[in-house]
Parts: sequence; structure tokens; C-alpha cells
Amino acid sequence: MRLPPFQLHRPETLQEAVSLLAQHGEEARPIAGGTAMVPMMRFGFLRPEHVVSLKGIPGLDEISESDDGLRIGALTPLYRVAGSAVVRAQWPLLARAVGSVATPAIRNSGTLGGNLSYAEAASDPAPALLALEASVLLTGPEGDRTVPITGFFQGFYEADIRPGEVLVEVSIPRIPAGARWSYLRFAARSREDKPLVNVAVVATSEGVRIGLGGVSPTAIRARRAEAVLQGPGLTPQAIDEAADAAAEECDPLSDLMGTAEYRQDMVRVWLRRALTGLQ
Amino acid sequence: MNQEISLVVNGTSHTVRVGDHWTLLDLLHDALDLKGTKDGCGEGVCGACTVLVNGRAVRACLTLAAYVQGAEVVTIEGLARDDELDPVQRTFLELGAVQCGYCTPGMIMMSKALLDENPNPTRDEVREALAGNLCRCSGYTKIIDAVMAVRGAD
Ligand SMILES: Cc1cc2nc3c(=O)[nH]c(=O)nc-3n(C[C@H](O)[C@H](O)[C@H](O)COP(=O)(O)OP(=O)(O)OC[C@H]3O[C@@H](n4cnc5c(N)ncnc54)[C@H](O)[C@@H]3O)c2cc1C
Ligand code: FES
Ligand code: FES
Repeated sequence: MRLPPFQLHRPETLQEAVSLLAQHGEEARPIAGGTAMVPMMRFGFLRPEHVVSLKGIPGLDEISESDDGLRIGALTPLYRVAGSAVVRAQWPLLARAVGSVATPAIRNSGTLGGNLSYAEAASDPAPALLALEASVLLTGPEGDRTVPITGFFQGFYEADIRPGEVLVEVSIPRIPAGARWSYLRFAARSREDKPLVNVAVVATSEGVRIGLGGVSPTAIRARRAEAVLQGPGLTPQAIDEAADAAAEECDPLSDLMGTAEYRQDMVRVWLRRALTGLQ
Repeated sequence: MNQEISLVVNGTSHTVRVGDHWTLLDLLHDALDLKGTKDGCGEGVCGACTVLVNGRAVRACLTLAAYVQGAEVVTIEGLARDDELDPVQRTFLELGAVQCGYCTPGMIMMSKALLDENPNPTRDEVREALAGNLCRCSGYTKIIDAVMAVRGAD
């Protein structure tokens, strides 16, 4: 089945992309790998007249490490993030989460920026980036803006991207030495499914940070569960209480994959497993 | 709303005119009359449309035609040399990994991508690589056997 017709723009600079998006307003939409955009257009969820390709704009697909941490260009394909030697050595949680997205052919085309902009609750990278306290850089008609990832996911398939803005880069601070982590995803039927529930944990001497996916209209930080662990640390009793708190603070939807109640139960189970199995 | 795309498909250079909204699958089927690559779900789930672009497996149904400008594309039609089948095609035939055949071009292209990167995969690595390719006939066991048999592994 053909896609509904649109005019494709292939800007060569970020500035050009931003002005095309600003100029065509509601009628325009950026595209990166297309793995989410193409199905949305094919099945009529989106009908943009102008599609602005970000792929091929130089400089948007680089991974670089500095004293402050890691920067990943929004157009970096997922397979390169998961396979990067630096990411695997210094941010193994991120490598694991990104390497868990879908299947190899989707990771070859899909980009990190596309995954986050799509703002699906069942994202593998999102909970990992929440637990890692990442931030994103956007550029638009009004200039640049940095948004902490904790404020970026705003609702059901809704990210804090203003009209004309493009997600440019994801920044991830260094993980303190001695920190432990875990990433677990639970897919109810088979490997290629999106996660029904996924859990990312980073535990440092200062506390435990928990990202949850699949459980709310968006991926969330489980702040109440984190608070429960703040005093006692990772004792068996505190872990049970944190798992209960996390199940309480998420607000899942029921869909074909599972009911809201089942998802809450699975949050309890998988967070407990993540907290008892930190690496 | 039309564009000219130059690319290499199965070793031959082509320049074709396609719509802005065409995907690589549309280009293969309708501009080059290469129908071996199958159209299953149109949303990236089934893997029937898998082809290689610059050596990496992608979904032709999700890839804009514009994205293969200047690229090297390999489809199922590009594997056999003269009358000689590719080793993956041969083991699929010999071990009965084909029933209706609809999933087969995608399965074979995905297996090619795996074997090019990792010539001696474990059974689990084969299963992982093919997890995004659905087969509604075979039950998968023979497909995995066929990929394992390519290098006489296992
Ligand atoms: C079969 C299948 C299985 C999947 N399974 C999983 C899974 O298990 N786990 C998981 O996490 N994800 C999964 N996904 C989702 C996948 O990760 C996303 O489709 C992909 O990462 C999107 O990236 P893209 O570059 O293809 O984005 P596109 O499809 O090009 O764009 C997605 C959206 O983001 C916008 N956009 C893209 N880039 C930018 C940018 N830089 N700035 C502003 N807006 C932008 C587009 O306008 C569009 O709305 C699956 C997808 C498919 C098709
Ligand atoms: S037709 Fe492309 S993945 Fe199903
Ligand atoms: S052989 Fe029929 S779908 Fe696989």
C-alpha cells in the first residue's frame, strides 16, 4: 500500500530544516529513520503535506565523550549507540537498553532522537535515560533549549517539542565510580514485542534512581519508590516497599498486551528483580 | 513531488523516477519490477520486506526511496550467481525451510546479514537475528537449522 502523497524536503543544514518546519507549520513534520513515521502515515494517523528529512544533515549523528559525560547526536542510529565501545564501557545500562529495541533491522534504521521524539510509553531507551538523568538539546525558530529528560515526556506520544523545533542531541552525565545498575524488560509474548513493562535502575552512594517504561501514558521516574529506598538502602524489606510504591505511582493503560492491573503487578515483580539483581 | 534516484541494485546501476512518498519497497516493485521482496505488514513487524542497504538489513517498507540515493541495495534476486544458488538459499532448499515461501526472501536476507557479520553464529544468535521475521507455516526450527547448516556449524 502506497503512502499518502507528501512533498519531501531534504535540507542540508539544521537551520534550513528548522526554517522549513517553521514555514510550513502544522502541515510539516520531521522524519529521521522513518520506522515510526512511515507506519503512522500509512495508517492515516498523520497526514503531513511536507515531510522534512533530518537524515543526511551533517554532524547530527556523532557520539562523543568529554569530561562531563556523553553526547549522542539525535540522528545516530540505535545500532551504533548499542554497539559503541564508549557507551558499552562507560554507560552499559544505555547500551543494554538501546540494544533491546525491537530487532536488528529496526535498530539499523531507527534513531535515538526518533525514539525519544516519538515519546512512546513502551520505549526501551526512555527509562534508561531517565535513570541516567540525561538531558536533550532542541533547536528551533527561537533558538536553543536544553530540557532535562525528566520533563521531556509530557503525555501519551507527546514530547516537549515546540512547533518548528528539532531534537539535536542527548547528553548523559558520567556515572559515579562504583555505581551499580540494572535494565530489565518484560515482553509478554515474545522477544520482538515492545516491552509491557521495563525497568532501569542506577544505584549510587547518593541514592537510587529508577526509570519505568510501559506503565503510564509516558515513561516516568519512580520518585516515590526512590524515596522509600533513601533511608534504609537496599534491604529486602525496603525493596518490597519500593516495589509497592512504584506500582502505586504508575498509571498504566489497558491494551491488547495487558490490563492496567496486570501492568501494575508486573512493575512490582520486575522492579523487585531489578533491585535485587544490580550489577 | 517526483525525484530522480540513482542507486545500485544487485550490482547494476539504475536511475529511476519515483514519487516523494515512495518507499524502497515501492521502488523495487514498481520502478524496477523486482517482486521477490515481499510486502507483508507495511509496519516493520513481519520482516518479509527485508533487504540489504550498504550491507545492513533494513525494512524496505519503512525506508523512504530517497534514503537509498547513492546506496548499494541487495535483494533476494541478487544472491544467486549464474546458475549457482547462494549457500543460504541452498540450505533453505535442502533442509525444507520453505513452505508457502512468503517469508523466505526476508528470512534469507536477514540470515545473509547475520552471516556476513558473524560467520559462525550460535543457535541463540540465529534466533535473536531472526526474531523480527515472522513465518506462519514452518514453526521456525528448519529455518534455524538451515542457517546453522550454512557453515556446517552446530
Ligand atoms: C516493528 C517495530 C518494533 C519496535 N519495537 C520497539 C521496542 O521494542 N522498543 C522501543 O523502544 N521501540 C520500539 N519501536 C519504536 C522504534 O524504536 C522507533 O520507531 C524508532 O526509534 C524511531 O526512530 P526513527 O528515527 O525511525 O524516527 P521516525 O520514525 O523518523 O520519527 C518518529 C517521530 O519522531 C519525530 N522525530 C524524529 N526525529 C526527530 C528529531 N530529531 N527532532 C524532532 N522530532 C523528531 C518524527 O516527526 C516522528 O513523529 C519499534 C518500532 C517498530 C516499527
Ligand atoms: S512488510 Fe515490511 S516488515 Fe512487514
Ligand atoms: S513458509 Fe509460509 S510464511 Fe514462512
